[in-house]
Amino acid sequence: MSRDRSSDESTPIERGPNPPEPAGDGDSRFSLPFGPRWAVARRELGSLRSEKTIVLALAIQLVIAAFSSFLVVGLVSLYDPSSVGDSDNRVAITGADEADIERLSQLASEQDGLKPTAAESRADAFAAFDEGQVAAVLEVTRDADGRLVVDATVPDGGLETTLLIVQLQELLETLEHEERLANADALEAPPLDVPDEVGASPYLEFTYTILVPLLLFLPVFISGSIVVDSLIEERSRGTLELLRVSPLSLVDVADAKLLTIAALAPVQAVAWLLLLAFNETVIAAPAALIVLVAALALAVTAAGAGVALVAPDRRQAQLAYSGGIVGALVLSTLLPEHPANTVAKFAIGSATATTWLSLATYCLVAVGGYLVVRRGIGRLAADSL
Amino acid sequence: MSDETDQNPDRRSRCHRLRGALARTARISRWEVSRSAGTVDRKTVLVLAALALVVGLVGVSAAGEGVGLEDEIYVVAVDEDSRYHDVAVESEAFRPIPLDELVVESGDEANADVVVTRNGELARYGPHGAAAHDAFVEAIDAYNEERFRQEANETAAYPVHVELDYQERNFDGETEQGGRDGSSNGDSDGGTGTGPAENGTGDDSTADGTDGEGSGDGSGDAADGDTDGTDRNDGTSDDGDGRLQVPNIGGAGGAVDGTVGPPGSISPPFPFQSLLLAFLFVVPMNFVIQAYGSTIMDERVKRRGELLLVSPASRREIVAGKTLPYLLGLVAVAVGITVAVRGGLLSVAAAIPIALLFLAATFAGAMLARSYKELTFVTVTISVFLTTYTFIPAVFTDVNPIALISPLTLIVTDLQGESVSLGEYVFSTAPFYCSAAVCFLLGIGVYREEDMFAQKALPAKVLDAIASRLHGYRSVAVLTALFIPFVFAGQLLAVALLFAVPEQLAVPLVIVLAAAIEEVAKSVHVYAGFVRSRFEASLRVAAVLGVCSGAGFFVGEKLTHVVQFVGLPELTVGAAAFGPELSGDPLLAAAVFLAPLVLHVVTAVISAIGASRSRIDYALTVVLATLVHAIYNLGVIALVA
Repeated sequence: MSRDRSSDESTPIERGPNPPEPAGDGDSRFSLPFGPRWAVARRELGSLRSEKTIVLALAIQLVIAAFSSFLVVGLVSLYDPSSVGDSDNRVAITGADEADIERLSQLASEQDGLKPTAAESRADAFAAFDEGQVAAVLEVTRDADGRLVVDATVPDGGLETTLLIVQLQELLETLEHEERLANADALEAPPLDVPDEVGASPYLEFTYTILVPLLLFLPVFISGSIVVDSLIEERSRGTLELLRVSPLSLVDVADAKLLTIAALAPVQAVAWLLLLAFNETVIAAPAALIVLVAALALAVTAAGAGVALVAPDRRQAQLAYSGGIVGALVLSTLLPEHPANTVAKFAIGSATATTWLSLATYCLVAVGGYLVVRRGIGRLAADSL
Repeated sequence: MSDETDQNPDRRSRCHRLRGALARTARISRWEVSRSAGTVDRKTVLVLAALALVVGLVGVSAAGEGVGLEDEIYVVAVDEDSRYHDVAVESEAFRPIPLDELVVESGDEANADVVVTRNGELARYGPHGAAAHDAFVEAIDAYNEERFRQEANETAAYPVHVELDYQERNFDGETEQGGRDGSSNGDSDGGTGTGPAENGTGDDSTADGTDGEGSGDGSGDAADGDTDGTDRNDGTSDDGDGRLQVPNIGGAGGAVDGTVGPPGSISPPFPFQSLLLAFLFVVPMNFVIQAYGSTIMDERVKRRGELLLVSPASRREIVAGKTLPYLLGLVAVAVGITVAVRGGLLSVAAAIPIALLFLAATFAGAMLARSYKELTFVTVTISVFLTTYTFIPAVFTDVNPIALISPLTLIVTDLQGESVSLGEYVFSTAPFYCSAAVCFLLGIGVYREEDMFAQKALPAKVLDAIASRLHGYRSVAVLTALFIPFVFAGQLLAVALLFAVPEQLAVPLVIVLAAAIEEVAKSVHVYAGFVRSRFEASLRVAAVLGVCSGAGFFVGEKLTHVVQFVGLPELTVGAAAFGPELSGDPLLAAAVFLAPLVLHVVTAVISAIGASRSRIDYALTVVLATLVHAIYNLGVIALVA
């Protein structure tokens, strides 16, 4: 904001777009109804550009998206036995009853990644475990009720153990399923048949329910934060007072700032959607999503402008703003449909009547909120700022 | 600080001065608090408190029910009479439509993702069909589980009972996992010794097996014993409702969970809950630094800070005074969270360095930012970066010792009821303490009239901040050594981020990155010194500066042998960044010991000569120095391997 300070002493009439344009052009500019506001808007964008904050903003959003993706991909591959290659885990199976051992061995040999070995005795099995010849020892017994009790001994800690347990769990669940089918007579209702999975990408749900909403909401929150900062800064540096001496009213100034910065959000949203499309993520209703982002951005920036003009200084304003955002996100779980869920449904293409109704409501709330804030600004006394 | 010359070494006057400094710091702190409190009236506080209460209540209830992010994202066409209809109704992710309403368009497009045909088979349509299919299979699983849970005949419903025993194995040089397992994991150790022998009877009952485990835990520590005790009750009395509903997050112990029960309930040792609770410690920091950044920035707007600058208080006192309330606030919050989640002293001790670094980075950022908008992005960047840096390694707490690069890992460990050694605490937190100190030092360097109130470009201010610390050759060496924590953190970050990448790719990348980070750290202040005319731009001066910087780095780098406390060099990737351990005969050891000195001096001189000429020369020589450094590192690793 060096320009503001350097021109603090100059007469206010000279304030305008920077660098100043030729005089002849200036007159026609101010004769247009949106001319002066356009000047404020351009200055706002100019300061964003010169400080490279918008670059930083985009980078931050990318990092957050990458961070969440990293977490999910990392966690999924942590539990994915195929991620360690095709080396089989050898498992020693021991127990009291030969038939049970035989059954478990049979199941284990059918499962990928596990290789059962028969142990002569219990002691042999644990000796093999201690020497590292087998990765785990399974001990099968039956308790008094006739239930199978499997005592699994696995190495302590490490990535391999995590995978081993996932594999063992799969094996034991198969065993459980067989046992249950055998018990079907004793059950009130037999279990439903479970079809085989087709091995779809485990990331699809994450992409639509977390990543897309995240990428679309972040620009909205950032826009709100910029409005808060921009207005508070004008107040702190005393330049808002100078702007008020110009042909613009306070409402016009706030209007121009608010609308310019709110418009940044849908633009970024378009960029993210293009990026997703480039990564072959199909977005079913991009237009609806853009409208949703625009509506939310208008509502959030209007709220931000209100906060910035009421709060005593930046600390309170930013805390109130970010606290408000967090609060709003939490409270929105009370809605029939969480905004993130609305985004997910539009993106994946299963929008319902509720989804469209939510979109319409957000648009109405946004315009209503904007008008209310605009009125509020109009009533603000000049001295209160 | 040089402006406080020590002319009168009299002890009393020193005491007096110290008291004066403390009094001024305390006064500034008081102002800071009263000024913040003064701007908020009582009504606002009440409204905010009421709002926070409502939000908290809703948040708690929402956390219990789930946020519903994936509600009805798939459509399933299923006949109302089908047995699978109930599955679709109960599952949140599916919206059922009657089979009659199914419209199949040309190709594999339809108005449903999955279709349950009349003979009970699954068909899938559209781009999301496969994912919806798998989700539906999972929903059927969940539906079955729910039915079993309500089953009267529990033996028939849960015919298999699993017990997981973790046993430590020591063979073929696989060392114990640091001091952590050896010292604190009493339970697993006890298990190894007694497990097989105790269970030697061959057909022991359920109760016996768990007994052995329970007692082992009890001797380890109270918290573990507790959770295991409840687990055992659940398992044997077959009342397991509470645990079954949340198989992954139940219980307070985190990793000890899921060791006894039906196959569906056992889970790998992943400290999910401890991780979430540890994350709680970081959340408030993100909010506090916003306020802290604002108050520092406020001083710079309209020259408000000038009044404090002309007061008798030194800049260090001003900064300390302004920082203290926020630091104390964060410590209080950390203590509060620790009490709430029943952590130990370690949690607080690990949270303090994180809080310090958050504040220090924000302070430096606020000193450099040109406007509030820029400050917002600087604080958000700090938030994102530090949260990532602390959180990602902590995910691997039980998996890999490198997780210790984040103090958050200490908190996770503490919440799991385990303890850490002093060496591990130092390894984990020392980089944070040092980085925080350097950030504050650099920030205080520009806490002066000509930098605070001027609008300079960011790189210029960074150079100012660094150059303000340069006084003579010795300071160059000291500054290089001071940068080591950043080098350390940067290299650790590179290792942590790249350890998931295949090793063939990760090792060369880490070598080059590590070399580049070191070279920049050794030369950036030399460059600042030349640009700000602290030194004469001659070849001789450049050579001397290079030698100083290289030697300073060598001394500092020896400190990184703290790394060996946790045996980090045993990771292949770790070795690439920090160099192999010293070993062998004394002569070789001496050569190995001194070789890095030669390397650091040579590369530092190369970049110093570039720095003395121009910016482009500087950039080129840094690249050259990085190459030399990387080749040297490769050579050493090849020699040792």
